[in-house]
Amino acid sequence: MGDASAVARESQDKDKRYDRQIRIWGKDGQRKLETANVCLLGAGPTGSEAMKNLVLGGVSSYTIVDGTKVTERDLGNNFLMDKSSLGQSKAECCSRLLQDFNESVSGRFVAETPEQLMDAKPDFFDGFDLVLATQLTSAYQHKLCDICRKSGARVVFGRSYGLFGLVRISASEHTVVESKPDNVLLHLRVKDPWPELAEYASNFDLESLDDMTYKHVPYVVLLIKLAEAWKLGHGGNLPQGRAEQRDFKAFVRSQQRRRRGEPEGVADEGENFREAVENAHYLWSPPGVPSEISRYFADPACEEITSASSHFWVCMAAVKDFVAERSGGALPLPGSIPDMTATTDLYLDLKRLYDSKAEEDCDWVFDRAIQILSRTPGADPSALGRDYVKGFCKNCAHVKVLRFPTVRQEQEGFLGGASQSSYLQSLLLSEDTAENAFVYLMLHAADRFRQTHGHFPGKFDDGVQEDVGGVKSIVSSALSEAGLPTIPVAEEYVQELCRCGAGEIHTVAAVVGGIVAEEAIKLLTEQFVPLSGTLVYNAIRSTTLRIGKF
Amino acid sequence: MSGTCSVSGAREACLGSRVLCVGAGGIGCELLKTLVLSGFSNITVIDMDTIEVSNLNRQFLFRRRHVGQSKAKVAREASLRINPKAKIVAHHANIKEDQFDVDFFKSFDCVLNGLDNLEARRHVNRMALAASVPLVESGTAGYRGQVTVHIKGETECFECQPKPIPKKYPVCTIRNTPDKPIHCIVWAKDLLFPRLFGGEAVGAEAEREDEGKNGGEDEGKDRSDIEVSERAEGQPAVEYGCVVLREVYGDAIARLAAVEDMWKDREPPTPLSSDVIAAGRAIVQGRARGGDDKVPTSASLALGLSDSHATWSAEQSAAVFLMAVEILLDGHADRVGKLGFDKEFPLSVDFVTAASNLRSHCYGIEPKSSFDVKGMAGNIIHAIATTNAIISGLIVLEAQKLLLRGLRQDDDGATLTPWTTFVQHNPTGGRLLQRIKPLPPNPKCYVCSKAQVVMEANTGLMTLGRLVDDVLRKALAFAEPTVTVGSTMHYECGDDLEEDERERYDALRKRSLGDLPGDPIGHGSLVQVEDFSQEMSVELLVCHREPREGEDPDFFEVKGEVKGQDGGRGGEDEPEGEGDSDSDDLCVVEEAVGEKRKGAGQEEPAKRQRAS
Repeated sequence: MGDASAVARESQDKDKRYDRQIRIWGKDGQRKLETANVCLLGAGPTGSEAMKNLVLGGVSSYTIVDGTKVTERDLGNNFLMDKSSLGQSKAECCSRLLQDFNESVSGRFVAETPEQLMDAKPDFFDGFDLVLATQLTSAYQHKLCDICRKSGARVVFGRSYGLFGLVRISASEHTVVESKPDNVLLHLRVKDPWPELAEYASNFDLESLDDMTYKHVPYVVLLIKLAEAWKLGHGGNLPQGRAEQRDFKAFVRSQQRRRRGEPEGVADEGENFREAVENAHYLWSPPGVPSEISRYFADPACEEITSASSHFWVCMAAVKDFVAERSGGALPLPGSIPDMTATTDLYLDLKRLYDSKAEEDCDWVFDRAIQILSRTPGADPSALGRDYVKGFCKNCAHVKVLRFPTVRQEQEGFLGGASQSSYLQSLLLSEDTAENAFVYLMLHAADRFRQTHGHFPGKFDDGVQEDVGGVKSIVSSALSEAGLPTIPVAEEYVQELCRCGAGEIHTVAAVVGGIVAEEAIKLLTEQFVPLSGTLVYNAIRSTTLRIGKF
Repeated sequence: MSGTCSVSGAREACLGSRVLCVGAGGIGCELLKTLVLSGFSNITVIDMDTIEVSNLNRQFLFRRRHVGQSKAKVAREASLRINPKAKIVAHHANIKEDQFDVDFFKSFDCVLNGLDNLEARRHVNRMALAASVPLVESGTAGYRGQVTVHIKGETECFECQPKPIPKKYPVCTIRNTPDKPIHCIVWAKDLLFPRLFGGEAVGAEAEREDEGKNGGEDEGKDRSDIEVSERAEGQPAVEYGCVVLREVYGDAIARLAAVEDMWKDREPPTPLSSDVIAAGRAIVQGRARGGDDKVPTSASLALGLSDSHATWSAEQSAAVFLMAVEILLDGHADRVGKLGFDKEFPLSVDFVTAASNLRSHCYGIEPKSSFDVKGMAGNIIHAIATTNAIISGLIVLEAQKLLLRGLRQDDDGATLTPWTTFVQHNPTGGRLLQRIKPLPPNPKCYVCSKAQVVMEANTGLMTLGRLVDDVLRKALAFAEPTVTVGSTMHYECGDDLEEDERERYDALRKRSLGDLPGDPIGHGSLVQVEDFSQEMSVELLVCHREPREGEDPDFFEVKGEVKGQDGGRGGEDEPEGEGDSDSDDLCVVEEAVGEKRKGAGQEEPAKRQRAS
């Protein structure tokens, strides 16, 4: 029994350790995390914070890249370093101490600066699933972005700069099946019931039901039946326009039975009738194919399936066919129904109907996906499992495709070229967003300052005021080039920027590192929707702003 | 310019300050680290919990070798390694203990909460108010989190707004007509498990925490509800388990199914077939036994069912049921009679999973995996390191602002404004951080604004004991309430009572309110409630009324802005005290600006038909 029971014990142990997070992203998400190889650039406070969160979460391995040595200054603001670390390689210390957090993660380090690595050995980045890049200046962000687009690694950039922070993601494409939206649209098909559902509804003889059962007819059935009744008196049409829709709701209400002995007009409140009125809109505006999904249908990645296409796009193509050829405009049923007033039996009947229809829809999509793969040269149909297709069908109204612009594209979009300046202008002119849009510009100016002066503004205590002037002139020339106004707090913010001299403050590092790790987890687990655009964090105001056009 | 500089000067402000950290769990670990790295050098940390394996995915100051040790103490040592110059005092204790009195709270400049239960949060809120110390309160759940700042007289206190209450289930649904997995889980956890393995004391505790029962029903009645023979002398545990299965899932279900009235609108349940029981027994008897004679820690693992995400067949459930009964009765004989459900105790999770799934089997309800059952029965709130790290950064920023306010009275205040900050679930949908201005104190709050509380109850039936336990302690969160009407003191508590006083109060506890000597409590009575430990008093206006149709005869309803209270059902708080390991967990109240003070949290209506 030895091996088998050891494996079982280890798996139980992991279940226990990761229990609280498996409840967020499931066994599947955890498995993806446990196979991820992550590289961290920069072992400062922000980098250590970010990596700590991923080591605790249980990634497969980490590799820490940092060319500096631990100094007295690091002891004060990096939770990993203690006195014994002084003078040692920061990457080595960080790697060794992180290892202690989780024995099932394997750690490595490279005592070189990320900049050296990028310049000398760009193929170093091959083989990583994700790179956490902290404290890089714009120029090296561009470089890393280009390298990782080629190698296929996703990048999360994080930067703490005094009381300000920036986070952004770079990846050419990221698709999400389980986007886990806060609001889920119901796909009930009351407007266009499939034959079995229509038949089930028509078998109800409402008149003959006793009072108790009458109050527990599921609203789905009520809507289908009452819509039929309505059509009889309206030339076969469902309610059209506000007035008719109001009338229809009144018609639904009028079908409630009166309580015995109560005067006319006092209805026996049936919860099911209230729900029917509440959900009547599904009769005139059923959730068809959301516009976002229609856009994906028209995407070249969906139209031209090749052997390189991901299963995501193969399923998308199959669902597209399903909508066009099979269902007449409806997406595959997700196979779950909301709680509703009903007797247990009626509810279970209904659940079975929806479940079996969902299975049927999934079968169709699966078959079609296999057909698509079979006629695609070089593709392997057997690699596609029905479980994946089932998951896709279940979530297909909410799947997401994200394509992130490169760092260069984004910055050129905002900072150069008059075509984009209206967006930045709108941010700078709105009271809500002006300060953080300015922070974004200012941090970019700090990098420009470094390019020309060889150091960050405020690096030397006696030159702070001089540097303030330098940063201000970079910012104002950028603004005036684009014809943009400055903002009232500009002076304060530039002073603050220079005062900190590009230092990392621990509170800010905790927040930025936390956000970086959170986005990394979303990318690795392929769940939830990661951040698009650049997130600006402003600790002075406790605010964030997402900059970018979507 | 003053603004930004003020926050920048924070490090200096932190140096001389004293802060109290309540909780050294998920938020607490992150918070301690951020505090010592931000220059806080005088910190007291309190936590009553010990370290569990399930903490290690986020409570990064702890290692596997620390499992079982005090969170507060290990967290202190780890924080000292980060900053050896800091002065940190650790208490492995409950914050509600007498040693942490108002004077204790007064010795701090700021209180920072990283707690996991409503009861302790309410207590700390009162202590901070009594001591006039500002409080930074926080909580996380998954990707969501929040930080709020409470300053006496300036912003609302933690209890100014009612919080949503945990879901409760109608008692008849739990006992007779379940139609969802959770109904069967509550039944297995709160009725069957205590019936077989709990004792009087544990039973009473379960009663209070329990979601399934009306608070008013007495213990004896609950007990008789599940009819089970006692184990015969010398009877093997597995054989006894089979008897339980036959009686509870066979005979009792058959009797219930025969009550025609109950099944007019639904399918009656099917008694568990003896084949399933026999198959379960065969699985248990045929299992491969390990060489050692150690007591297995898990019944499911002992049977080779190692995938906690799989659902078991009825036969497998029966086997796990029997196996768990055997291990619990024979391997933990010393604890039988005192056991309660504990999500960190695998045998209780096994038992509740098997017992609830067998019941689901009888009622045609879908079975659940032990992973799911554990989460549902243990009210587990999911938790990750990232959100806690973000929240800890925000807490410290708010704390720094509070300390700077004390130093700089002349500041224009724009930058030092405290903010309520929400960390959102999905930053793409809007902003990752959402901040709102804290509201001023709610004049209707009985905690910080001395507002009167109105209680409706049947004063002929409600006993003084129920008033003290369910209304004052649970619904109103008093720790040591004293009850006075006119010049008569009806009740007081505390360790310093004389034996004869204690006996007198114990006798009074059993009397109904209307039957109390001296000044009985009836319609229109004004009851003065005082709690010296919290330095708090409340005037309770009593309104007598008869129960409404279908209402528990011993109902009560507390009106006013009362937190965590649910009219008529006894006002349970968040579940707590279940060997809790999630000091960072809180039901995050998601509120948009302007949606505040909407009224008490509503229970989602139970939609399926119920025979009440």
